[in-house]
Amino acid sequence: MSKLLTITPSPHMHQGDSVNKIMYSVIFALLPALIWSFIVFGLSAVAVTLTAVVACIVIEWVIQKFLIKGEPTIKDGTAILTGILLAMNVPASLPIWIIFIGALVAIGVGKMSFGGLGQNVFNPALVGRVFLLISFPVQMTSWPNVSKTLVDATTQATPLAIVKEGIKNGTPISDLMAEIPKYTELLMGNMSGSVGEVSAILLLVGLVYMLLKKIITWHIPFTVLGTIFVFGGILWLVNPDQFVDPVFHLLTGGAMLGAIFMATDMVTSPMSKKGQIIFSIGIGLITVSIRTWGSYPEGISFAILIMNAFTPLINNYVKPKRFGETK
Amino acid sequence: MAKLESSFKNMVIALFGVTLIASAALGLVNDATIEPIAKAEMEKQTNAIAAVLTEFDSLGIAYKFLPSEGKDSIQIFPALNAEGEIISNAIKSYTYKGFSGYIEVMVGISNDGIISGYQVLKHAETPGLGSKMGLWFSNAEKPNQNVIGKSMSAGSLSVSKDGGSIDAITAATISSRAFLDAVNRAYSTINESGISTQKE
Amino acid sequence: MNQWKNFTKGFIKENPVFVLLLGMCPTLGTTGSAINGLSMGLATTFVLVMSNIVISLIKNLIPDKVRIPAFIVVIATFVTIVQMVMQAYLPALFESLGLFIPLIVVNCIVLGRAEAFASKNSVGSSAIDGIGIGLGFAFALTILGGVRELLGSGKIFNITIYPEQYGMLVFILAPGAFIALGYIIAIINRLNKQKA
Repeated sequence: MSKLLTITPSPHMHQGDSVNKIMYSVIFALLPALIWSFIVFGLSAVAVTLTAVVACIVIEWVIQKFLIKGEPTIKDGTAILTGILLAMNVPASLPIWIIFIGALVAIGVGKMSFGGLGQNVFNPALVGRVFLLISFPVQMTSWPNVSKTLVDATTQATPLAIVKEGIKNGTPISDLMAEIPKYTELLMGNMSGSVGEVSAILLLVGLVYMLLKKIITWHIPFTVLGTIFVFGGILWLVNPDQFVDPVFHLLTGGAMLGAIFMATDMVTSPMSKKGQIIFSIGIGLITVSIRTWGSYPEGISFAILIMNAFTPLINNYVKPKRFGETK
Repeated sequence: MAKLESSFKNMVIALFGVTLIASAALGLVNDATIEPIAKAEMEKQTNAIAAVLTEFDSLGIAYKFLPSEGKDSIQIFPALNAEGEIISNAIKSYTYKGFSGYIEVMVGISNDGIISGYQVLKHAETPGLGSKMGLWFSNAEKPNQNVIGKSMSAGSLSVSKDGGSIDAITAATISSRAFLDAVNRAYSTINESGISTQKE
Repeated sequence: MNQWKNFTKGFIKENPVFVLLLGMCPTLGTTGSAINGLSMGLATTFVLVMSNIVISLIKNLIPDKVRIPAFIVVIATFVTIVQMVMQAYLPALFESLGLFIPLIVVNCIVLGRAEAFASKNSVGSSAIDGIGIGLGFAFALTILGGVRELLGSGKIFNITIYPEQYGMLVFILAPGAFIALGYIIAIINRLNKQKA
């Protein structure tokens, strides 16, 4: 991959080997954060990840073989990536049968129902995650404590949930900040949360790797994070007692994971650079809005899915200029 | 028979005829069902009262009371013993703090401030989460979430997350808080009305 | 017209929900459980049959230009009757269906059959058409309600099939209605294709 990735109108029919290379590079970029999660959450995180990956592969193969009866697409690595991303978006203590349902929905509903790779409207891993969040709210919001033990002894609220709960009760922000880990800790990955969202810095390492390898461009991740920072910052400047500061928004929850690995999914994001920026601003605004005023503490997965739905519209209006066209 | 022409006269007559017959039919059905409807609603209320109170001989005269807090008046149904003394009250309490807004709860509280029972009358909470409150807070096997038998005279109830003694419904803390808010309102109302809970 | 064919077309070939995609509002709104779907379907069937009969009786008395208002009045009358009777004798069911009973008035299946069938056919055929389409609607709502109830809470008609804690809550909520309906339609299309 020495030159920039060419962006073409959908359906994205790549040659097998190029899809392969991209997918395995993305998986490689995810590894540092994933391995850190294994260290932090222990065997349960390994079990969740393995189940998700194996289930995604098997389900895609079964659907491909018996329902669609098309060319097998297992080897392109997309099912593995979906599995890893799904696992990174759920609590490490999630029961195995729930993660299996998540994989079934991610691959079956989110991807294969639309016709497989390149045809899906929504990011499959997020479809699975949101489905689980609505279906099993109890299990999906019981986060294991980051105690580096093998058994999940206690559960702990995520920083976002602590803050949301506190603001609803009228506790001042400064008191709440004392309850959550320091920002440096959040950056390093010492907070409770889903498997893959604990360490912001290792996700950033993945981002740098992908940028250097030119798998993705800066447009989506930087615009998403920038919008979250700016919009969160405006709210914070308006009333610092009622809204949390923007750095907190960036470091907690799935902001990093979503902006770097989910929103950049090539199938479900717009093609042109301008379109990608519109798409990313939308994600940032919706994320902060849900976090601030919605009933869920975290909103980036909903935000990405909502903007996924807008992608065809954005593609329709923000077309790259045709070669030779004059106005 | 040929179809009637769309002349003005025909249209007026046809529409008038249709509406006349329709209203006559509705009037008849309304007459026939008005009593059963009232009876069904009455029965529902009586059942709820009977379900939340333990032992009583007869029901006293229901009255409405407007507590100083909140904007809605609250219906109170006193329950009498054989001598005609008030031994407990069923209070139709409410809260607007539910996850989906309004919740109406019938709460039975005895004279010494012990909750004898409750029944959720109206709610729009999320199915499978907040909607569990009808059973959750009356589970006799789980003393930490059961409100029945708890005494209100020691102070208002709150969920353990807020430092109280009641375990909230898993993943539905807002609904649980709202429910306890309605229960607390029932007790404060009955206290404020002062008719039954005076202690020697 | 063959009356048997007239009766059965509502179930699969012209099923109002799965094939014609009419009356989506009650279909998605009331099918949280099989029993709710069934009762909604039967209430609609009653309205459909009665309004079909009456409209086919009076079809020659109604001038063309005012037929729609006249039909709506007839339909609304029967809906109100259903509502009052249900409130009186089935208060629990009335509460769970709530707003959707009065909404039968604007259910396009009912007006659709009145306009497309009853106003052109004899009383007998119209009644049979109403029963067929109505039961087809009830059948579809019961299936959808059953699927959602089973996946969402592990029960069918309140009979426990598997423990409730394994149920997927999303199927009881509104998004589950869309997902379940989509897949049922897909399966039915597939079956129809194989037959053809």
